[in-house]
Order: sequence, then structure tokens, then C-alpha cells
Amino acid sequence: MRIQNQQPSPLIDPEISYRAAKLHEGDLRLLRRVVRSQIFNCYEKRGTPMPRAARGEFDPVRFEVIRSALLAVVEEMGATLRRAAYSTNIKTRGDFSCAFFDSECRAVVQAFAQPSHLGSLAHIVPAAIEKYGRERLQPGDALLTNDPYTGGVHLNDITLISPVFIEDKLFGYVANIAHHVDVGGSTPGSIGVSKEIFQEGIIIPPIRFMQKGNIDPNVFDIIRANIRGEREVSGDFRAQSAANRIGASRLIELADRFGVADSIYYMGQLLEYTDRRVSSNLSTFPEGRYHAQCQFDNDGNTDEPVDLSLTVEIADGIFTVNFEACPAQRPSSLNATFSQTYSAVMYVVKCLIDHDIPVNDGLYRQIRVKTRPGTITHATYPTAVAAGWEVAMHICDLIFKALSEAMPERTIACTKGIVCNLAFGGINPTSGEYFTYYETIAGGCGATAANDGMDAVQAHFQNTENAPAEEVELYYPVRILRYELIPDSEGPGKQRGGLGIRRDFLFPGWNASFSILSDRAIFPPWGLAGGQPARAAKYILDPDGKATELSSKTTITLAPNAVISIQTPGGGGYGNPHDRDPKKVSEDLRQQRISRLRAETAYGAEKGP
Amino acid sequence: MTNSVQRPASSSSSPATVRACRIGIDIGGTFTDGAIVDEATGKVRIVKVLTTPRAPAEGFMTAVDRALEISEARPESVTMLVHATTIATNALIEGKTARVGLITTRGFRDILEIGYQIRPELYNINQVKLSPLVERRFRYEIGERLDAQGRVLEPLDQVGLRAAVRELKARGVEAIVIAFLHSYLNTVHEDIAERIVREEMPEAFVSVSSHVCPEFREYARTSTAAVNAAVMPIVARYLDQLSCSLVRRNIRAPFYMMQSSGGVMKASLAKARPVYIVESGPAAGVIAAGAFARSVGFENIISFDMGGTTAKVGVVQEGLPKLSPEYEVGRKTYSPIGEGKGAGYPVRTPVIDLVEVGAGGGSLAWVDSGGAFRVGPESAGSEPGPACYGRGGHRPTITDANLVLGRLNSDFFLGGEMRLDDGAARRAINEHVAKPLGLDLLTAASGILDVGNAGMIGAMRIVSVQRGYDPREFALVAFGGAGPLHANALAKELGIDVVVVPTSPGVATAAGLLLTDIKHELVATRRMVLSSEAIPMIVDSFSEFNERALRMLAEDRDQWSEVTFLRSIEMRYRGQSHELNVPFPGEMAPHLLEKALRASFSQKHLDAFGYISEQDLIEIVNLRMSAVGHVPSVRRDVLGVGNGDIGRAQKGTRDLWVRGSGALQAPFYDRYKLLAADEVPGPAIIEEIDSSTLVLPGYSAGVQAEGHLIIRPLSAA
Repeated sequence: MRIQNQQPSPLIDPEISYRAAKLHEGDLRLLRRVVRSQIFNCYEKRGTPMPRAARGEFDPVRFEVIRSALLAVVEEMGATLRRAAYSTNIKTRGDFSCAFFDSECRAVVQAFAQPSHLGSLAHIVPAAIEKYGRERLQPGDALLTNDPYTGGVHLNDITLISPVFIEDKLFGYVANIAHHVDVGGSTPGSIGVSKEIFQEGIIIPPIRFMQKGNIDPNVFDIIRANIRGEREVSGDFRAQSAANRIGASRLIELADRFGVADSIYYMGQLLEYTDRRVSSNLSTFPEGRYHAQCQFDNDGNTDEPVDLSLTVEIADGIFTVNFEACPAQRPSSLNATFSQTYSAVMYVVKCLIDHDIPVNDGLYRQIRVKTRPGTITHATYPTAVAAGWEVAMHICDLIFKALSEAMPERTIACTKGIVCNLAFGGINPTSGEYFTYYETIAGGCGATAANDGMDAVQAHFQNTENAPAEEVELYYPVRILRYELIPDSEGPGKQRGGLGIRRDFLFPGWNASFSILSDRAIFPPWGLAGGQPARAAKYILDPDGKATELSSKTTITLAPNAVISIQTPGGGGYGNPHDRDPKKVSEDLRQQRISRLRAETAYGAEKGP
Repeated sequence: MTNSVQRPASSSSSPATVRACRIGIDIGGTFTDGAIVDEATGKVRIVKVLTTPRAPAEGFMTAVDRALEISEARPESVTMLVHATTIATNALIEGKTARVGLITTRGFRDILEIGYQIRPELYNINQVKLSPLVERRFRYEIGERLDAQGRVLEPLDQVGLRAAVRELKARGVEAIVIAFLHSYLNTVHEDIAERIVREEMPEAFVSVSSHVCPEFREYARTSTAAVNAAVMPIVARYLDQLSCSLVRRNIRAPFYMMQSSGGVMKASLAKARPVYIVESGPAAGVIAAGAFARSVGFENIISFDMGGTTAKVGVVQEGLPKLSPEYEVGRKTYSPIGEGKGAGYPVRTPVIDLVEVGAGGGSLAWVDSGGAFRVGPESAGSEPGPACYGRGGHRPTITDANLVLGRLNSDFFLGGEMRLDDGAARRAINEHVAKPLGLDLLTAASGILDVGNAGMIGAMRIVSVQRGYDPREFALVAFGGAGPLHANALAKELGIDVVVVPTSPGVATAAGLLLTDIKHELVATRRMVLSSEAIPMIVDSFSEFNERALRMLAEDRDQWSEVTFLRSIEMRYRGQSHELNVPFPGEMAPHLLEKALRASFSQKHLDAFGYISEQDLIEIVNLRMSAVGHVPSVRRDVLGVGNGDIGRAQKGTRDLWVRGSGALQAPFYDRYKLLAADEVPGPAIIEEIDSSTLVLPGYSAGVQAEGHLIIRPLSAA
């Protein structure tokens, strides 16, 4: 192995990029390994006379083997991205996704820990390639985009797409999407209350970010000049390019192992297989139209609540969610792009069908999402979209609510119902560096007909990890004073909802800018089938003193040593709380999850000491 | 790198009249395996007795007695006893742990329960959280606070602490965890708290986070200390019981426990740190594989342990097993690779890095609702077991496929103790796989193996290719009951040229216990930018480690002949949150040391991620040291040399079906009759009581002097 550290080391040295470009790869090290080892060429070497595909034969064994190999490729991309990334959000919290698309831009296989990425990449990749022009793509190129109106989500989620060529023919694309901590705009973390997209940060339409395997330094400089915490974000971009490099080289190995024609044939079969399984699941769903509606606290600019309504239509094996009755978008951040709305629907569909159905183009074929452009579920230029995931979270809870009578055993009461975006930043008083920090906080899960909701977890499409208090305090001028469950925050029910979380931040001796982009301070999570609502969210300044309640969407500058307390909602209950097993009530009481008063008033427990 | 301290030859003081021997005991789910080696002759003998789950000590003692009996050794001649057990793991999985109290920083009472704040399963609305190891009512918050530099912001409320301990005692708590924020930087509050707990409750089992796991990230540290406390009373009672029984049998040899990291520690130490022995069984397997391979000249291996329900894959590089700093215990169910984080209790102690896939002999083959051919992760287990066991199982498994394809001998399974029902296997495969997929029986059976193998290849890719190694540079060491049947096909697929099948592969783990070294793991979080100022800190810390390690090793001076200190530094670019482990190059001039560390970190980063950053500062996070006391290995006895005619071992021929070659007439052999230097050309099956080895056409299995088989392609031989 070459030692590179004596001489100045560019990202990738010129020799690598030159040869890599020729062979459509970004990294000599990997390339050498491929060329040298031909690790998985055994099928070809054994002299399979002719691809089975060409003979029109389907081999179920080959199918399964190729499917495992494809999944291994995107999982390895994910492992690479995660390890090489800089920001806590990507590394520890796993806020990213990797996928492979065939040459027709159909998603073939995807690896992710965040279901929020379920439908989004499937929209972004084809839209970006169409806009940029497929014919302009050269080996070694990579496109970068975060454009919310070209299939994208909010600006923080940035996608990198690399074409993969085999013998000068396009084989497909590897892509990954990652949530960047900051993309500029008017508030640290880029998640503040705003009116139009320009306030939310840098907009990157699909552009060529890499050429011949190298990041274009001019483009990179423009992007870096527009973001806070340049160092961290730069590292994340490099990690994204490393993931695509690994993915591309592994696909080339895979095609080499199984043969290009066979690989393409079985990828197609994988999509058909998925479609078949989705269809057979959908055929068991009760046909009909199911409606539900709810409200958001406000849009952050006015105090007026925002309506959300939808109708689920199940007919002829097609699952449709119709949002056409949603109100027009407002000049606020509380708007979802079509991709976000679509992702929310796909998340719920994935919960309703068998869990082992793979994620690819075949998953989407029987699902329809109807929206009107220019509404809060289909934002159009130039409205802001930073709180779009809050809209998506409400959509998930609302679809389950709509289906609660038709499919009671497969639905769940309202969860914490918020993504709960928090960001703070400013000049670090010790280092003098401009920094931003972003996180989201878990809460209660909704109860179901069978089980209590989980305490203190992320909800629905959101499954990002927390950052350890020791790590946060080490890197940022902040102190975490409390991180605990909130007793009595559950929605009572025969099955109770989960408990919410309280997390208190203190900013010692400096003026932090603190942004909250959340909801459910006014409209708490609902119960189902007689279950009761949970405690609403509270966002409190100086919780142990004046205790000023803040709006769920706000940016404020804090006085030195100020404390902010974020208290997330619990989950809604399921069924009449008076029907709850008294043993469970007394166990919750014994473990101090509920108070004595709560046990008596909400659950009808006998008066105790 | 390593530095070694030589000691005069070991004081093996046993008089010549006593036949000195070592015993290894491995307790598994079904069987308790024992291995005994005669130090003079090197003869290894194996015993197998039934596990006694209610009272594992009984099975243990039965195995010890049997081992002494068959080797005609006397109790007082035992010089060393090594044990691997699943007692801690089982307690965690079954939720039968001790009643534990937690003393923690105010505001952080729920740390064990909030965990990572994630759901292990993404789309299951009915999932339930694993219950925390400490009930909420036994978790007490105490006034105290350090900052992120380890400075005291608020002194410890000793009065409140004393009151809390008294309450915990009154409420019947047996073990107490002490875990305060930032204690990895400054143990002052945990130390005072420990003293107070011991004063108030001398009988308590105490687990202090900064002692058990002095690393940052409070959830992982607290969880490690909690797992330690939760199994401490159970492990302590068990080990006390064993020690008593051993003394009653007049066995006074030093008694060691296998650790998750692959070394052994004194049983007395394991009582205080039981969290270090949680994964002792799987670790012993990898150690065994590494040791057997080394004895036949291979230092780089992929270990492949395939049993009834899963296959475990690990890597040994340059004789050292790959370790991982963290894992989860207590998961109720097997979860596929890449999913299920948060389904168990995190433990941050070095553990041999194993990837486990749901593919074992009992894994079920099935056709899903979309018509795809699947194998596992569901398993028929041992009850009802594969269809061919004839115990009520009707669904086809990997074992059934092996039988139908002629790889297993229906008359010689477990040495003939169980007859396999070939007809039942055929019926199961026909009905559940062949017919639904429109395949003939043999193609379907062969498909079961290919699909199962695909999952195992995935696991091998994770431990090799995904971590930057080329599998072709490794030897594959196959053990476990089913490993040797699949190894040749897997090696062929991965381009691996050498397969090693040790003697008695089904009980290799117990034999591995006889081959381990004494090991102590030291770690300290020392977060600093890599610069000239950091060098003295590194040097001082390691010399402090040296002293501590020598003190610890001094206890076992009779067992080791030489010690090695493996020192490494976990580093990253500042801002990253996963570290790369860089070997410490040894003492040298400070500026050279800094340069060397920088160079080797850069190289590691380039290897792992394909880039190097010039702008970013390199940050040191943890210093680690493994202090290894090498136990002199016993030279194993050797087989007689064969005359080249393997006819003496042939039991017969039967039909063997191999993909690509169709039906072949293959000879099958009695492994016990093979002699050194024999060559068994494929296709062939080599049978022994606890396993069978398949040699594919185009390969040949050579019998090595100590009896291990080495399978290589004929072209390379």
C-alpha cells in the first residue's frame, strides 16, 4: 500500500483520478483491488456458457444470490458514509440513505436507517438526472442537489448521484442523501421560521460536483462559503463521495461476477417480485374511502392554526392518499415538498404490509399520492419548506387515524407527532469559531390495540439517535441539565401511550441563538378507540424561574446562562383507560411513570395512600 | 506494536511422577464439552456431556470428572482450568438478572431507559422496549456535577447519597451501579460514592462506571456498568460454587474464565468484572481457530463456526483476533445485519468481532408470498429439528439438503447415535421448495445450500472486504458441527485457496480453551489534538499502563512465560465521531513518534475511506493496551505417518450431488483412520462423530501431522 503522507496529499492524487476516470472509478486503491483480485469472478470463470437471462430462464437460486449481493453493496456504502462523516447528525444519528438505481433510474436497492428517506431518493434521482441531462454525464462525474422543487426535500438533505459505467455503457447510478447540519440561511442549522426558500440557505440545483472522480474545487468553495461550520460540513461531503466510490466499484465487481446481462435481468425480476408481494398484500385491505383531519399549532409567522386533511382510497388493489383538500401553501416554513408527502405515505404503507418486502421501484407501483401543487403538501417555488418534515409527521399519524376503524388492528394512536427540530449556534466563546448544533428529541409512541406505546423513542419515519450529553458538552458551549422521562405525559388508554422526554439546555456565559421548529404545543396527540390524548409539547424559557412558554416555531437570542426546557409530548392512548388492567396501572404507579392522582382520575384506580 | 518481557523458563514445578494436565470446559445450550490435554504427551481428549441448565455447575463437574477418568489423570495433577460459559448471556436474555439500584447525576435518572431514543425495528408499530436492567423506582438522582473538562461544578451531596443507599438496601437491592456524568475524566465523585455505598451496605455488589468502562458517552458507560451489576451476583455465586466443588475434588489448579476479548482472566477477577466474560463461548471458538491455523502455518484466517441455528464469522490477522469495542447483549431475537440497534443492552468492553447470520443446520428453507426462495433466519432448532431427525419436523432445513445431496451419512450421524430419515428429508424439500418453485428435488436441495451459502458469504464479506481485507489472502478455518460441510464451497466462491478443518471440529471451542493466553484490557479516554504536546501524555499514560498491567499479571506468574503489551491509540479527525485504531509504534524520539502516528493514522483513513484531509486536526480519543501473558502451549501429539494408501480409512462410496458436476460416486472415509501425510482427493466425504467434511471435485484434503485437514485446489497442490 502506498504511503501518501510525506508529500502534500490532495483528496485523491492526480494519478488516481486519471486512471480512475478511464475505468469509471474514483479511487485507485479500490480499483487496484478490483483489477488485482477479481474477487468474485468465479461464475464467469467457470464458463457459464450464456447468460440465463438470454435463454429466458429464471433461476430462483441465482435471483436470491444476486439480491443478497446487491443489498451488500448499498449497506457497505452506508457503512462507509457513516464512518467517514464528521457531523454527529450523520455519524451518530445515522441521518442518511444510500441506494442503487438502474439505467432507467428505477430504484433497485436501498439501505437506510431513516424511513424518511424511503420515498425521497426515488424522486430526487430521476428528477435530477432529467434536469441535468443524462447524455451529459461522463464517467467520474457526480451530481449534487438539494433543490426542493426538483424532487428534493428540505435544503439540509443533500443528494450526491454518481453514474456507473461498464465498458462505456451506463449501468446505473449510485446515490446517497445526507442531512447536513447547516446549509446557510437566516438561522444556525438552517431550520428557522421563514417565508421564502432564499432565507433557508443555499439552493443547489442538480450540478456537476465531481469530475473524473474529483470534487470540483470552485463549486465546493461556493458551497462552503455559504454554510456555517465549514469544516464539519466539508468532511461530510467527502464522506458522501467516498460512499459513492465504494458503491460504484462494488457494482462493477458484481456485474463482473454475475455478468452484465444476468445482473440486469435479475434486477428487473427483483422489482417484479416486490410489486407482486405488495399487490398480494394490498388485496387484503378493506376497500373504501377513509377521511381524517387535524391541525398544526400555527405556521410560525401568524398564530392561525393550519389545517391538514386527507382521504385514503383503497380500490382495485391501488392504495391512494388524496391531499387535494389541503389548504394553499403559506409564506412560511410549514410546507412539505411533494417528496416529503410521498415519503410519509410510503412509510405508512411499509408498516401496513409485510415487513420483509424489499424497498425498490416495485414497492411504489400500486401506491398513488394525489396533491395540488401550491398547497402545504406540495410546496412550489418560492415558498419555504424547512418545517416540511413536521407536515410529513402529521401525515403519518393522520393516515393511521383515517384507517383506524377499517383496520383497527393495524393502526396506532397519535405518536409524539413532531420531528422536534432544534438548533442552536453562534460564536463559541472559547474557540471563537462559528458553530451550529442540530438535534431532534424523541417522545412517546402511540398505543395500539395490542400494546402500550413505547416510552421515549422517535416516531414513524424518524429514527435518529440522540447525541450523548458528554459529547455535546465536550464540543459545544452548552450544558444539558436534564434528560428524563416526563411522568403523566402519556395518553391514558386500555393500552397507554408512551411517555415524552424533557431535555433542558443551559448556555453558560454567552448569547446563543436557539431555534425551535416543531409543533403540538396546542393540539396534543390524540388517542384512538376511546383512548385519551397525551400531554402536549412545552417549549419553556427559564423553566425553574419565570417559565415563559415559547411558540413551537421560533428563533430567539438567549441571555447568558439562560435555560431552555424542551418537553416533548407522550403518545395517545388506545381504548378506554378504565378498562386498563389494574396491575398495569399499579406497576406504572410503582415505577413513578404516573402519579397517584393520575391513576385515580384517568384510570379510575381505587383511592390509595 | 509489541514489547516483550522475557522471564526465566516457567516454573512448572510438578514432579515428574504426576501427569500434569490442563482442562477446558465449554458450556453450550445442549452440550457441555470438555477437553483435557496431557502436558507431557500432548494428547488431547474430548468429552461431551449434557448441559444442566438449571444447575450448570453439575454439568461442569461431570465433564471434569469424565475428562480425568478417560485420561487417567489425578485431580491434583491439573495445572490449569479454563472455562467458557453462557451463564451471563442467558441471564440477560431470559431477564433473570439481579435486583439492581442506580446512583446517578441529577437530571439523568432515565439514561438507561431512553438509551439511543430509537426503535430497533423501523416499521413494526407493535414493538415493545426491552425492560431496563434497573427499574425506575430503584434509580436515584444525587446532587453533583462535573463539567466536560472534569472540573467539579457542584460537589457530591454525600448526605443525600447515604440516604439513597439506605433506601435501596431497605428495598432489597443486591447490586448498585454508580455512574455520574463525565466520570471518565475525573473519578472523584464515583470514588467517594463507592466508599459510602460500601460503608452503608458492605454486602452489596458494586459496579462503578469509571472502573468498569472509563470511556466517554454516558449511555454506553452506564449500560456497561449496569450489565456488570445485573449479572454480578449470579456469576459470583456460580463461580464460588464451582470453586468449592473443585476444592472438594482436590483440584486446586488456578481457575480461569474466558473473556469476550479472547484472553482469560482469573475467576476471582471475573467475579468483580463479569461483564468481561459475557461472550466467552464465541470468543473461545475464534481463539481455537486462530491457534489451530497457526500450528499449521497460517496467521491470517477467517474463522467460520456453523452450528444448528446460526453461523459466526470472525477474522484473525497476524495471529490476533479482530476486536470490536462495543456490542449489545440480551437481544431476544436474532436480527439481520444492519438492523436492530437498540434491541439489546450496549456493552463497551473489547469483544471478538463476530458477524452472525441466521444460517445453521436447522435453518428452514421456504418460499415467500412473492415466490422467492429463502433460507432462514427461522430455524427448526434441535426441537423439532430438521425433517430428517424424525422428531416431528416437517419443514426442510439445510441439514435435510445436505442429507439428500449425499453429504451426510444417515447411518453415521453423531457416530450413529441418531439415524437420519432420508425419505422425510426428500418429502419436505419436495413439498415446500421443489414443487412451489417448479424445480426437481436435487436442484431444489442444491439451491437450499446456495441460498444459505449466499448469506454466509455476505457475513464473510462484511468481516473482510467491508473492512478493507482481501479474503483471498486468508485461510478459512471451519468448525462447529456443520462448518466443515460448507467450507469448501464457500472458499471456492470467495477465491480462498486454503481451508483448515481442525480435529474434532464439533468441539473445537473446548479445545481452544487450552490454547488461550492471560489477558488484561486497559483503556483511558485522553482526548487531545495530536501535536508535540500530546506526546508526553501518551508516553506517560502507556508507562502507567505498563506498571498496572505488570501488577495484574504478577498474580498469574506461574502460568505465563512471556508477556506482550499490545498498545494502540484510537484517533480520528477532530469532529468525526468514529475512531480508527492505530498501533502505537513503540518508544522513539517525540517528533518521530508524532510523525509516525500521523502517518499511520493517515494510511488507515485512506484505506478505510479513500481520502486524507490536510486541513483537519487529528484527535486522540482513547489509549488502549492489551497486556497478554503467554501461556506456554503444549505440543500436541502427532499421528503416525501414512503409507499413502487411504484405502484403510475408506468406509464405502455413495452418491454425492455437486452443482455443476451432477451426481458423482464419492468415497467416504473414517477420519480416525487417516494418518499424517495422507491426501484425500475430492470428491470425498470425511466422517467423524461430531462433524463431516466435504471435499469438492478439484480439491484435495491433506492430513497434517497433528490431524488437522488442509483442503486446497488440486492445481495448487
